[in-house]
Amino acid sequence: MIEFKDVSLVYPNGTEGLKQVNVHIQEGEFVVIVGLSGAGKSTLIRSINRLVTPTKGELIVDGDDVLQLNNKQLRTLRTKVGMIFQSYNLVRRSTVMKNVMAGRLGYTGTWKSIFHLFSNEDKRLAYENLQRVNIEDKLYNRADELSGGQQQRVSIARVLAQQPKVMLADEPVASLDPPTSHQVMKYLKQINEEDNITTIVNLHFIDMAMEYADRIIGMRDGEIVFDGPVSQVSEQTFEQIYGRSIRDEDMRGGMKGA
Amino acid sequence: MHKSASFTPEGLYPRKTKLTITISIVIVSTFYLLSSIMTESFLLDLFIKMPNVFGLIGEFFPPEWSYLEEIWPKLFETIHIAIIATTVAVIISIPFSLLTANNVTTNHWLYQAMRFLLNIIRTVPDIILAVVFVGLFGIGAFSGIIALIVFAVGILVKLMSEVIESIDMNPSEAIRASGGNGLQTIYFAIVPQVLPQFISFSLYVFELNIRASLVLGLVGAGGIGQLLNKEINFFNYPAVSTIVIIVFAVVVIIDYISGKLREGLV
Amino acid sequence: MTETTFTLPKKPNQRKVLIKRMIVLLVIVMIYFWTFSNMTINWGDIFSMRTIENIDRILPQFLQPAFSETPSILEKMVETVFIAYTGSLAAAIIAVPIAFLAASNMVKHTFWNQCGMWILGAIRAFPEIILAIIFVAAIGPNPFAGVLAIAIGSTGMLGKLYAEIIESIDMNVIEALQASGANKMQIFIYGILPQVLPEFLSYAIYRFEIDVRASSVLGIVGAGGIGMLITFAYMNRNWEEVGMILLSIIITVTIIDQISGFIRRRLV
Repeated sequence: MIEFKDVSLVYPNGTEGLKQVNVHIQEGEFVVIVGLSGAGKSTLIRSINRLVTPTKGELIVDGDDVLQLNNKQLRTLRTKVGMIFQSYNLVRRSTVMKNVMAGRLGYTGTWKSIFHLFSNEDKRLAYENLQRVNIEDKLYNRADELSGGQQQRVSIARVLAQQPKVMLADEPVASLDPPTSHQVMKYLKQINEEDNITTIVNLHFIDMAMEYADRIIGMRDGEIVFDGPVSQVSEQTFEQIYGRSIRDEDMRGGMKGA
Repeated sequence: MHKSASFTPEGLYPRKTKLTITISIVIVSTFYLLSSIMTESFLLDLFIKMPNVFGLIGEFFPPEWSYLEEIWPKLFETIHIAIIATTVAVIISIPFSLLTANNVTTNHWLYQAMRFLLNIIRTVPDIILAVVFVGLFGIGAFSGIIALIVFAVGILVKLMSEVIESIDMNPSEAIRASGGNGLQTIYFAIVPQVLPQFISFSLYVFELNIRASLVLGLVGAGGIGQLLNKEINFFNYPAVSTIVIIVFAVVVIIDYISGKLREGLV
Repeated sequence: MTETTFTLPKKPNQRKVLIKRMIVLLVIVMIYFWTFSNMTINWGDIFSMRTIENIDRILPQFLQPAFSETPSILEKMVETVFIAYTGSLAAAIIAVPIAFLAASNMVKHTFWNQCGMWILGAIRAFPEIILAIIFVAAIGPNPFAGVLAIAIGSTGMLGKLYAEIIESIDMNVIEALQASGANKMQIFIYGILPQVLPEFLSYAIYRFEIDVRASSVLGIVGAGGIGMLITFAYMNRNWEEVGMILLSIIITVTIIDQISGFIRRRLV
């Protein structure tokens, strides 16, 4: 499904974001990437839909090398790869409905979208996905009237409206409180299982990674320092990845196992 | 302990602050005296000349209401000038505000050049613009419209570019990540953020333009100012006071409507 | 397997919103129709040979400012700045009592607040140049008329801004002073003034920037300053001088904006 072959990325200012990364992710996996901030988690995830462009190597997503795509092909790829952000990235003044419809933009012509001429099918899809994350009653509320957890659920619905094969989540719970964090992670897990959508999540909370992941990838300084199923992971593994002992701030806490 | 006992604070403020305040007050008063002498105006004079002012106000009353017939066409011309000038200025300002926003225009030289140009335009008073355009295009509403467009663009571009500089770029990243193209990103992520502010500023500039267009006629640029100029020259004070009352009413009404509309926008 | 046609839940008040939008659209269309059907612009006159000749004759003159006139222009420019200075200073003082009257946390009678707001609003509705016309008629064509026009005009804006500042102050301080037995005057000097003074000054200086621009045109109606020269130069079609006046206004205003910006940054 997704394959990194010797992928490196050097930012224009000389920082090395990724160093010779090799990873193979199967369809339907739920992968959590852990590491300290600045370890390259974000760079890795953003390479997959080319919000950042690796400078070397090959990156195969759903059969295509992402690095070779032209603009049009890239937009087609991006419709297949949904993304959830730490700060939700909703248009705060627009309604929930309009924000979810934004997930259909890649399938809709420019002029049609400007005059809001979405098909009935698109509207139904948007509504059903809002129902899946239990926020359909806020359909016509403005995004800025919603709480953080509600906004993140809307952004999940936006991604689902894309009907993606891959779902990327960049620190999706970093701005939320513990109970809401678990709620959001549960939705992601549930969608991953029901729709068989390959899911890659960046987290820096150890307990949440252990609870939801099938597989954990550890990163440090742009390199992959651990890659294996959750069953192989212990506290020592995390101490290796982080290069220091585990502290309280590495735990989210909350309704564990509930 | 014994150390602090021997120390008595000199006052409520440190000596340096006191000195700064004293110097500032001396400078401000000196300038005031100097300027009073230069302009031969002392505030005391105001009270001495008060009878004059009140005497004149007597001449202004009662307003000549029959003069209203002559006012209406010129008043409407004034409002039309402001509407057209504001509309054109808004259309021109949108592309220029993109050029003056440092998160859109990354070329440093272009950005600085645009800012410099706008700063110059904003220093020129509207009436002087009108003088120049009346000289070029002759007496009439057209010169007034052009003058107000230039005046309004100077203000609008600054306000709009500040809004563009302060927008949240995250939603546009999300739209790009879901496969939207450039136009869709602008339309779905950027327009909703800036539109209410842009409309609000346009209304504000319309208020300013109404005020400005009322007086542009003094230099021949069309509108009610032309009437005002004529009646003053003939010392026809009752007519002048009718005009002033109408101007006052129009400004109050338009400010009120525009204020209500702007409140509803945010 | 039944295929049901899908409908979204109804928007609340959809009809109402739709009707409201239609009305707004209709009003806008009507305003523009009214504007363009009434505007009579003689395009023939504007794009005529005369205009081209004008541009040909005026622009070159305009771009060669008459530096020989510098002394007389400079003298009038100084007068302009002084008119603005005296007027702003007077306004900065006159606005204080009116602002306290209008601030609802200082005077607890709604009637007086409304009165204060009304006075300030009424003043703001008069363009300065119309005030200047009135004062020139009353006391003759001299700089003092300009000073009065600036003073009254600025009071409107400063009073409103001052009132907003006063309403935003921390009232707990005043309560603490009252609790320690201070009288009204002491509360004013120790509790209120320190909170509002820096912002009052900042706005007064900002208003001075605006007043320099305003006073440079008041001369057009005879109220002193460089505006008088504009009228003369314009009537005599002396475009070199108009260019020179414009240049000196741009330079003066820019310098004053810079100085005032510098002082205001240090104040706050």
